[in-house]
Amino acid sequence: MVRTKGYPEALEKKLADTRLYEDEKNPDFTKAVEKISMTIPHMCFQCGTCTASCPSAPRSSYRIRKFVRRALLGLENEALTDPDLWLCTTCYSCTDRCPRDIAPTDVIMAMRNLAFKRDIVPVNFLKTVQAIYTTGHGVPNNDVNRAARKKLGLPADPPTTHGFPKYVKGIQHILDYYELKKNADRIVKEREG
Amino acid sequence: MREYAFFLGCIAPNRYPGAESASYKTSEKLGIKLLDLEGASCCPAPGAFGSIDLDIWYAMAARNLVLAEEMKKDIALICNGCYKSIWEVNHKLKRHPELKERVNEVLKGIDMEFKGTIDVWHLAELFYDPEIVGVQKIRDSVKVPLEGTRIAVHYGCHLMKPKKERHFGTTEHPTWLEEMVGALGAEPVEYRNKMLCCGAGGGVRGYDLVHSIDITNEKMINLMEVKVDALTEVCPFCQLQFDRGQIEIEEKFGVKYGLPVLHYCELLGLAQGMSPQELALDLHAISCEPFLKKVL
Repeated sequence: MVRTKGYPEALEKKLADTRLYEDEKNPDFTKAVEKISMTIPHMCFQCGTCTASCPSAPRSSYRIRKFVRRALLGLENEALTDPDLWLCTTCYSCTDRCPRDIAPTDVIMAMRNLAFKRDIVPVNFLKTVQAIYTTGHGVPNNDVNRAARKKLGLPADPPTTHGFPKYVKGIQHILDYYELKKNADRIVKEREG
Repeated sequence: MREYAFFLGCIAPNRYPGAESASYKTSEKLGIKLLDLEGASCCPAPGAFGSIDLDIWYAMAARNLVLAEEMKKDIALICNGCYKSIWEVNHKLKRHPELKERVNEVLKGIDMEFKGTIDVWHLAELFYDPEIVGVQKIRDSVKVPLEGTRIAVHYGCHLMKPKKERHFGTTEHPTWLEEMVGALGAEPVEYRNKMLCCGAGGGVRGYDLVHSIDITNEKMINLMEVKVDALTEVCPFCQLQFDRGQIEIEEKFGVKYGLPVLHYCELLGLAQGMSPQELALDLHAISCEPFLKKVL
């Protein structure tokens, strides 16, 4: 145990917040979260307004307040390996109500970005990437819809990358620049064989 | 006639084409011409892409913005998710030069450059703005008043929240969309926890469907309490969540609601005299018939 207050060891042990002496504490994690999110989790005084505003909290063990605490304490592994990280609907109610002007939603988004760097990401996110790489759309057109569009007097394919597939190249350039397609394919293959 | 580049997104053109069709026709009657934004893509989905890597989300959205910059037109769109990507990335890139530089480094490879010369609007805010359309003009355009119907509004999240970055004022109890519903002759109805999320966003619909539709179910319970004839929204993703979500709720939880869900543009189309066929309302998972019987 790290002695910080200069008290006798027994007293220090008693006073110590064990979370603060966590071996896994990584100050770089706190900095990385603050940089990506452009918000200020270190200002959190744990009032819980965020959790109380959260639509996911009443139906799961997801606690946004806990994640903000983990950001502040640098508890990287605990935060990134918790499956609850992916239960935020990004509704921004916590952000609108935070009395410390923190954006807890953006803390979650930053943590998800950092999790992805360690290949921690639900497969459905990657499938959206694969669909966009191929067609430009996350939710692509289909035959039933094409027939319906024609009946409405609209072109069977909308004037997007669907109607003008030559633009898909630009999208592929951006995704390849970040090697996202390659990584998405690799992770999906690892998970699903 | 004001002209805007119409950013379609994915779900409106590829699942609810009636909402797209209604947008062209209704806005034209209100002095807005929506032009094709050739080659636009997914915005991209702020939940999926933002979660993976915000830099990629910025670059992908910037490509769509540059297409409109090249047309020298502001963007109008009809989806809250698209608003989050397109409006917010435009806003951020204009204010953070280092971000803009990073994005332009990527776009250079496809001969594009983000300059920050246009603005992005949701069609609903253009409709509400008295300097552009305004509630009175909407009221004047109505041919088939939706009299005798009770309609609730779902605002969705990403249009107005986070409020300090947006320009809509209160996100606790807004009423501007209710005004626009009232202009169609219908009675706008308040309900408990109106601003609750639909449950679809942030990738949660794909990650944990039961969790996601449980949130939707809470909204449905609150809506049933006030006995409405329809729910209206300004986001095709919320529309999908409420419309197809009701089928999923029936499958998973065994509860059947049968509440018609219409995009505000579809509702406006009906009030301006468009037929249900012109709005492809038969593509909705939940039949709109009970509602249509009351108004037509």
